[in-house]
Amino acid sequence: MRVAVLGCGGMGHVHAQSFAGMADAELVGVCDIDAELAGELASKTGTRAFCSFADMLEETDPQVISIALPSYLHKQAVLEAAEAGKHVICEKPVALSLEDTDEIIEACRRNGVRLFVGHVVRFFPEYEQVRRQIKEGRIGEPGVAHTKRVGGHPGIARGWFKDHAKSGGVIVDMMIHDIDFMRWIWGEVKSVYAMNACKDDSDYALVTLEFANGAAANLEAHWGDPGPFRYAAEISGSAGLIRLDSAASASLHVRTRAQAERDGRFAEIPQSPGVLSPYDRELAHFLACVRDGAVPLVTAEDAREALRIALAALESIQTGKVVLL
Amino acid sequence: MKKLKVGLISFAHGHAYSYLASLAAMPEVEIVGIADESQSRVASIVERTGLPYYADYRELLATDADAIVICSENVHHARHAIAAAEARKHVLCEKPLGISVSEMERMIAAARDNGVQLMTAFPCRYLPAVTGAKAAIERGDIGDIVAVKGTNHGTNPGGWFTDRALSGGGALLDHTVHVMDLLNWMIGSEVKEVYGYAASRFGETKIDDAGLVHVKFAGGAFAVIDTSWSRPKSFPTWGDVTMEIIGTKGSISVDGFAQKNEVYSDLAGKGSWSYWGDDMDRLMIESFVGSLLEGRPVPITGEDGLRSAAVALAAYESAKLGQPVAL
Ligand SMILES: NC(=O)c1ccc[n+]([C@@H]2O[C@H](COP(=O)([O-])OP(=O)(O)OC[C@H]3O[C@@H](n4cnc5c(N)ncnc54)[C@H](O)[C@@H]3O)[C@@H](O)[C@H]2O)c1
Repeated sequence: MRVAVLGCGGMGHVHAQSFAGMADAELVGVCDIDAELAGELASKTGTRAFCSFADMLEETDPQVISIALPSYLHKQAVLEAAEAGKHVICEKPVALSLEDTDEIIEACRRNGVRLFVGHVVRFFPEYEQVRRQIKEGRIGEPGVAHTKRVGGHPGIARGWFKDHAKSGGVIVDMMIHDIDFMRWIWGEVKSVYAMNACKDDSDYALVTLEFANGAAANLEAHWGDPGPFRYAAEISGSAGLIRLDSAASASLHVRTRAQAERDGRFAEIPQSPGVLSPYDRELAHFLACVRDGAVPLVTAEDAREALRIALAALESIQTGKVVLL
Repeated sequence: MKKLKVGLISFAHGHAYSYLASLAAMPEVEIVGIADESQSRVASIVERTGLPYYADYRELLATDADAIVICSENVHHARHAIAAAEARKHVLCEKPLGISVSEMERMIAAARDNGVQLMTAFPCRYLPAVTGAKAAIERGDIGDIVAVKGTNHGTNPGGWFTDRALSGGGALLDHTVHVMDLLNWMIGSEVKEVYGYAASRFGETKIDDAGLVHVKFAGGAFAVIDTSWSRPKSFPTWGDVTMEIIGTKGSISVDGFAQKNEVYSDLAGKGSWSYWGDDMDRLMIESFVGSLLEGRPVPITGEDGLRSAAVALAAYESAKLGQPVAL
């Protein structure tokens, strides 16, 4: 499978390196308007660097385009790829509005190409295990859940994250992972109430979802937390509860005398040590779906619904009211 | 040494045992008796301690007690506290202070009119992690408070707690008030809006056992508290008191009972967490007794009890409406 990566920032690096390591994928090119970044990633992954998407499309003839551009540029890129007849893997959030999302979904349908959105939490083994055990009935009926996802402000390294018109802010960009996860385990959401404080280098949000089944979850997300990036969840039910915590399950700590020099160029990306990273598993799954036509673990409609809930949270912040979906 | 004479009304709430133990350990306290309408409930305590027993609390109030500790079912707090105040006894009343704003106002007025002090039992203020957090906030370590995510999880206590006619409410009433009091104490701004979620989700009972309380403060900060009785029987401990406090210059994590050992015993059939930190109940009782003996105002007042219980009551109203309500 011939794959090209658009965007060579933090996520573009992850995508390209992952494809480069896959036996049945061929990374045919990487593209970034920042030529230096594209060149650097191309040499790391043994592929060709491009500064123009059109050139990359023409010269490398990929079957799949993996899009890791800033979120506000997703739509334009997906439309171009779809028009060119390429299958699309797009980072989350799929877009910043439902109109754009519908345009994206429709363009892919019209051009007969597949669309996959990178809701990677479904590929994290710890979240996958929670879902499996809930389905097995280990904790009974849904009760009250919490999720947490906090870290430094990505806008310090990559300025566009600070502009909500470009990133959507901490809810649309980051909490959307947990919104998708909660829907995955507990089903449809019927109402949303949200509180947010966004100022300078901090964007903090608490969002409460009430589900059609009557259960509730409070989701916490923070850009600008002084600690290291971490995530956690607690799902309680009528017969038990399950907790996961990235800090508690860190299985390897390497401590050196010299303070390691931190690469502060990109937004921090969650690390989960394992033979395959969650990103490897996600991207391999998407390619397998292209190959055999299977329905992916997370669909474009799931991505749209997660965005719809995230946007309802923004509305709740504006109005101070509970938003019914 | 001047001694404070203290009586206890009702052992309906289990905290009475711990308060009694704390009082008994203080040389400056003389325990004058125990009143409980249920003789069987306190029979073993009375036998073990040899304390005078009164079936009718009014007989206890007729003694020369200086102060009364009330641990009756929530719906009886007001009756007991007002009678104690009218008998010129200082009062330490278990939380929640009352089950309606008007009755709590009457409790406060009764204490004031009779020249006695009314304290609400919020021992969490004495958890060392909590006092440490309060000190850090006052030093300005994290700047201004932006938001707080708190939990006061528990296990379904059963008994009268799940009988609305005696408790006045379920988990939302039982477990809003501790952390809400800490928020009021630390944030120092009035709650202006409340959104509540209350449901029965964990089996066993019809009363609400799942709760989320959202508050917005006049100063701009906001908070959520999970009040659910969501700890399963297999959980290693009864519950928790936690707070993630987000400030403009940093953040504070409080895990009130994190000072614990992990105990794995085949006798219990499950692992358990065994707390070894300071005893918050003892610290609170010492503070109550010390304030009265030295003629100082008690550190946690009836108004404090009212302020946090009123949030729980508003949360029920909001949960019914499905929208936030103004406070
Ligand atoms: N799934 C996850 O865990 C995860 C984590 C971080 C980011 N993301 C998402 O991935 C996407 C990218 O985020 P990031 O952190 O990699 O951002 P980034 O800023 O590090 O990278 C974006 C790159 O796109 C390049 N670019 C901008 N316009 C371009 C154009 N027209 N043509 C080619 N290149 C262009 C930029 O030069 C930059 O190098 C975002 O949608 C983000 O929300 C997902």
